[in-house]
Amino acid sequence: MQLSRRDLLRLGIATGAASVLPGGWRSSRASDLASSPATRPFVLELLPGRGIPPIARPVAPFATRPDPADCVNVDGTTAFHVHGPRAVPAGTEFFIVHERPVEHLFSPDLPPSLLWGYDGSIPGPTFIARSGTPQLVRFVNDLPERDSVGIGEPITAIHRHGGFQAAEDDGYPLDTFCTGQSRDYFFPNRPDAGLLQNEHSTNWYHDHAIDITAQNVYRGLAGFYPYRNRIDTGNENDPPPALGLPSGDFDVPVLIQDRRFNRDGFLVYDSFDHNGFLGDKFCVNGLIQPFLRVARRKYRFRILNGSNARVYQLSLSNGQPFVAIASDSHLFEHPVTVKSFVLGPAERLEVVVDFKDARLGDRIFLVNRLEQTDGRKPGNLVSPGTPLLELVVDRDAADPSRVPDTLLPVTEGPRELLPRVRVQRRFKFERTNGAWAINGEFFDENRINARPRVGEPEIWVFESGGGWVHPVHVHLAEGFVLSRDGKAPPALERGRKDTLLVGASFASEVRILIKFEEFLGRFAFHCHNIEHEDMRMMGQFEVVP
Amino acid sequence: MSRVRLRHAVGLLWLPALLAGGGSVGGSETALPPAPPVAVAVGPPERVEQIREEHLPNVLLWTHEGRAVRFYDDLVKGRTVAINFMYADCQRACPVATHNLTLAQQSLGARAGEVSFLSISLEPERDTPEALREYARMHGAGPGMTFLTGRREDIERLRRALGAYDPDPTIDADRSQHAGLVILGNEPAGRWKAISALAKPVRIRQAIERTLLPPSRWPVGEAVVAEAPYELRESVERVDLSALPRMDR
Repeated sequence: MQLSRRDLLRLGIATGAASVLPGGWRSSRASDLASSPATRPFVLELLPGRGIPPIARPVAPFATRPDPADCVNVDGTTAFHVHGPRAVPAGTEFFIVHERPVEHLFSPDLPPSLLWGYDGSIPGPTFIARSGTPQLVRFVNDLPERDSVGIGEPITAIHRHGGFQAAEDDGYPLDTFCTGQSRDYFFPNRPDAGLLQNEHSTNWYHDHAIDITAQNVYRGLAGFYPYRNRIDTGNENDPPPALGLPSGDFDVPVLIQDRRFNRDGFLVYDSFDHNGFLGDKFCVNGLIQPFLRVARRKYRFRILNGSNARVYQLSLSNGQPFVAIASDSHLFEHPVTVKSFVLGPAERLEVVVDFKDARLGDRIFLVNRLEQTDGRKPGNLVSPGTPLLELVVDRDAADPSRVPDTLLPVTEGPRELLPRVRVQRRFKFERTNGAWAINGEFFDENRINARPRVGEPEIWVFESGGGWVHPVHVHLAEGFVLSRDGKAPPALERGRKDTLLVGASFASEVRILIKFEEFLGRFAFHCHNIEHEDMRMMGQFEVVP
Repeated sequence: MSRVRLRHAVGLLWLPALLAGGGSVGGSETALPPAPPVAVAVGPPERVEQIREEHLPNVLLWTHEGRAVRFYDDLVKGRTVAINFMYADCQRACPVATHNLTLAQQSLGARAGEVSFLSISLEPERDTPEALREYARMHGAGPGMTFLTGRREDIERLRRALGAYDPDPTIDADRSQHAGLVILGNEPAGRWKAISALAKPVRIRQAIERTLLPPSRWPVGEAVVAEAPYELRESVERVDLSALPRMDR
């Protein structure tokens, strides 16, 4: 499909230096912050090393260090879990990552902004976990103690979101390390309870320091952490039982984030937006509205909403459907074909798009049609919406990849687990006199909200009233969605979920079935509107024997 | 006193009496932020300056002692502040918030003098300085805790600039909804945060200390966590499978 200039204008894509904001697209807060300066869309290309993050490479094994215990959090606490040097299994891969400042160009129309990146990369380097191969990652905090930008604090914790790892390696929000310190994280990279159905697909890693996560993630501390296993091998040429999903250059991470810039073109953040900060510029992998050259074949896109508070509804401008293959951390049992999908903060959806019917020169856009003007909830679907990414079909390529009808069979689902449920818990996420609470209370370092027994399935009920939407995230395990307002979940939620939109039009009550395996101790669950999370819309559960 | 623009006082019946009674107005005459500088590449913005421009309007207020003050120049500039919104007639959240803030202030001990507690009325027509003086007396508020009133439009401007509003206009119109937040700021350090004023006073006091002090002087260790007691707050209910739709699987 070749878009005419009229089509482009209809999509709000003015050429030249004019504003790219389509008519009616309002800034996030009507009251104060000015709109970001104009930027031209589709000028920067997603390329390896710029937009396509580098793959993290293992280093020679090193002696692990004890976790620092003396890093003082913004809320005054120090580490809760402190582990001595690790003895790791033979075959463990070792990595060292430095958190450091980096001059980052969001757009050629803006000056570089001083961000914080893992290894100075925006997004951070992509870690590939291979099932059965543990990894030991040392994160070193090389962030400056004095910082003129004033977004974030040089106090960090690493959470591998969706990951199955011990409490001391989970980025528990008090377990931080400060400038000049490091913390070693051990990731076992095995499925929960050893079940094939629990093999992971796309995790991501990001900052999780108490009180300051929103600003640290906004400043750049986020990256992908996909898995490979015996069916999802990372090589489309592998014969069955490998699935043969598109791989290599045709397996593309897509991190969607909104950002805001001041009149001089530098990244800004608003510490006084207590509802959830919204940007008015849309980035894919750190670049404002970039483009990607694609071949006439199948692609796997791992789409992650890494925004602080914005919800998106994504579709393709040519009306082509997506073949969804995974939600959050796990492949679906069967592919699901959809024309569009909603993605809340921290949610992932993996889709396969086949460009075989496109013509060379076609320009297809990944479009967000969901308007959102404050952190409360998204508004209406607008037309034509905002293009986030331009896909330029520019060549032919062989396509040995496949999308089998059965991806990852579920052997232990609601049918098997529901008869074993003995505990049901209810968590109400609510706005309480201008602040954010769970069951009427704010996160307290010394309060436990649940003590689930290891290996015993439970029903957790999440509620949100008052017109607010909360992306609820539970650490350690992914759940099966049982119901939304008493009804069966939509097709895209019949896999596993670690983050769920609750509230407003997304159902005021959501029930999930969840089971925590192997790892005991304290883990967090919280709203992933990160401003809400930092304002203590967080609880903790303690897995007990 | 002649520097105060009297036209601003229209609609506030108690204001002329105050003006006649004297008082001081510090700082600049105009509450408007300065004109934006010429757009040149100036490097990352100075955060403190940006926050002052966008979030700390220099509006004219009156204290419960009847003193005229400028919000930025006289109350916030160079200070560590704990700001909340309240009104004397509020029955639910305000008394609790004021009580918690009073306890937090008292528990600051020797450091109490380094923090200004600013409670701004959401009902300025009703909350005259005299009414606020009575409210302060009733709640045992001591030095360092200032109750403020002013022109409604100035207070609205302040409330929005500090983020104490609800995006839903219906809820926003309900004043009691704004009484739960305390906004903490160390103005010279550019360090601002907000927590619930309905949190435990000990947690509010700890958050204030972390706003006031540089990180190297923050209280540390398990003692900080354990200063509030360990709580197990499970919300278990009867398992109700009948509430679930039929599962395909």
